[in-house]
Amino acid sequence: MTTEVTELTPADYPLSINRPELLRTPTGKALADITMAAVVSGEVTNDDLRVTPDTLVMQGRIAESMGRRQLGENCRRAAEMTAIPDEEVLAMYNALRPNASSAEQLEEIAARLEGTYSATTCAALVREAAQVYAARNLLAEED
Amino acid sequence: MTAVEPRSEASVRASKRTEVLEDRPVNLDGFVEEWPEKGLVAMESDFDPQPSVRVEDGRIVELDGRTRDQFDFMDTFIADHAIDVDTTEAAMATESVEIARMLVDPRTPRAEIVALGRGLTPAKILDVVKLMNVVEIMMGIQKTRSRRTPANQAHSTSAKDNPIQVAADAAEGAVRGFAELETTLGVVRYAPLVAIGLQVGGQVGRGGVLTQCALEEATELDLGMRGITAYAETISIYGTESVFVDGDDTPWSKAFLASAYASRGIKMRFTSGTGSEVQMGNAEGRSMLYLEIRCILMAKGAGVQGLQNGSISCIGVPGAVPGGIRAVAAENLVASWMDLECASGNDQSFSHSAMRRTSRLLPQMLPGTDFVCSGYSAVPNKDNMFAGSNLDTEDYDDWNTIQRDMQVDGGLRHVREDVILQVRNKAARALQAVFAELDLPAITDEEVEAATYANSSDDYPDRDVLADLEGARSVMERGITGLDLVKVLERSGFGDVAENYLQVLRQRVSGDLLQTAAIFTGDFVPLAAINDANDYAGPGTGYRLSGERWEELKKLRHVTSAENPEEEVV
Repeated sequence: MTTEVTELTPADYPLSINRPELLRTPTGKALADITMAAVVSGEVTNDDLRVTPDTLVMQGRIAESMGRRQLGENCRRAAEMTAIPDEEVLAMYNALRPNASSAEQLEEIAARLEGTYSATTCAALVREAAQVYAARNLLAEED
Repeated sequence: MTAVEPRSEASVRASKRTEVLEDRPVNLDGFVEEWPEKGLVAMESDFDPQPSVRVEDGRIVELDGRTRDQFDFMDTFIADHAIDVDTTEAAMATESVEIARMLVDPRTPRAEIVALGRGLTPAKILDVVKLMNVVEIMMGIQKTRSRRTPANQAHSTSAKDNPIQVAADAAEGAVRGFAELETTLGVVRYAPLVAIGLQVGGQVGRGGVLTQCALEEATELDLGMRGITAYAETISIYGTESVFVDGDDTPWSKAFLASAYASRGIKMRFTSGTGSEVQMGNAEGRSMLYLEIRCILMAKGAGVQGLQNGSISCIGVPGAVPGGIRAVAAENLVASWMDLECASGNDQSFSHSAMRRTSRLLPQMLPGTDFVCSGYSAVPNKDNMFAGSNLDTEDYDDWNTIQRDMQVDGGLRHVREDVILQVRNKAARALQAVFAELDLPAITDEEVEAATYANSSDDYPDRDVLADLEGARSVMERGITGLDLVKVLERSGFGDVAENYLQVLRQRVSGDLLQTAAIFTGDFVPLAAINDANDYAGPGTGYRLSGERWEELKKLRHVTSAENPEEEVV
């Protein structure tokens, strides 16, 4: 997904001020293109006001360079999730609640994350949950 | 549970002094003896586990006396996600007293103690902070809080869910200095209109204010995704597996949710606090602080940037037991030490005593935290839909005076009356324009006038609630987004408000607000624990209240002029 992410250090933060040239909206616009005029003309839409996977990976690297390993991992999962529609993200979250899904249902979600969205770290989190839920009796009752 | 000698009503004659003391507000507060077997104990319990860790093949196989086959899901999540496997055995071998001294000693850099902390288990962290008195805990907070510059957060709500009131109070809160504003509802269906009121009002007072609306997890995320709110906070986590499940979540569902917010560029923190497990009836015989430390490590393991803790809505529980308020300060210390943004409580009201309310806030206000209050009530407490706060609008002048007395920055400032009236009026007019443009139930000029001069919801004309709820429904149905609100504000003559709002939305593209403890300056410069990392290293270092900001905080409502004692400084 991310092929060439520049080496970043804490000195690059905030990216919006120090490295705006690295930032793009999901439709390829630069940060400087998000102006009131462009909003009024309809050139900038709600789809532009989102973070891209590349930007999340960059922020994750900055976090890791500050010693924040887990925040970096969260950014990586988030980068994968940018591809998933809002409703489906919410549905997956609800499926991860206790006693909400069977082992098979969680595996289906993991497979979909991996197959449809190339979200391998997210899929790993779901599979890990499925294992723990099985051990702690938190899977949905099978019909 | 305790053998209390019943108070005899008639027979015993009390002294006049006792009568005076009986009438003091503090005696309306509830106090209770400890009951460690049930977890009704702040932080010193024989029933808490002893620290231990064992690593095999790069995996933690024993944690605080339990082997992996005995782990509950909190142990598993903490062992697999929070604790640094490579350093844990060395870190755990360090004497607790040595670690406690490092937390206090300014010559030990923050980075060193944070790195050591990455290898510690919950019981070990508890063992360390148990050695610290409240002043040492404050020393630790001063050094370990993540952002250099302290800030503050407000509640802006209405007992009648009146969006005009919320907008006007948000504008006043913003101009007084709050970096974040939070609302919630009496009637949940009102949420879209109140969240819009908060967002529009918050952008009037000054630039750079972030807003959120506390709701059920899925709805809160929905409003965030639409750009009607800017961050989220009420993502609750708990220290025992049973209570976590009662809350209909697990560490994995919450970790997934954390990534979902980040994937939309939305700032988010979790919420936890001492007392929640015993209040929800399943502390599993552990002390409140031990369970809270498990929450802090769970949050860290999930990779969420920060945590709101400091008991929050359960403050009555630690507030009732011996050493409870010390434990609340200790949980803020641990969150900071674990390198999380800490929005440090001083939130829900817990005492009738003005002295107790003040003493409860000093351990956060004096050292400074990322958000001294995670909910200072920017409305009178009777309008506070988070069940009241330790501080409310009546305390503004006291707060400003304490800042000036102690030369500490609690994130607020005194603002002249004409400025306050101007921003309140403008917020109400801006919301009036938004409602008109979106064909929502009209806001009358009478309501705008009321908002300008109001104190509480009693000072506003009543709204047609059914019509408002219909309007709220249509906001969601029509799929109105933050960008729609920006356009409406722009074309109805509130260009500066629209610009501020657009700046907030634009930040999602950069992801800058996802970093630890990120807030905006008034000029939309993100300040996080990266470009504004806490560099406290003893006297003369770290954040010092000086220069322009100190001059600002010297101002109060009434300060006598040195040149002319007949005049007051304005």
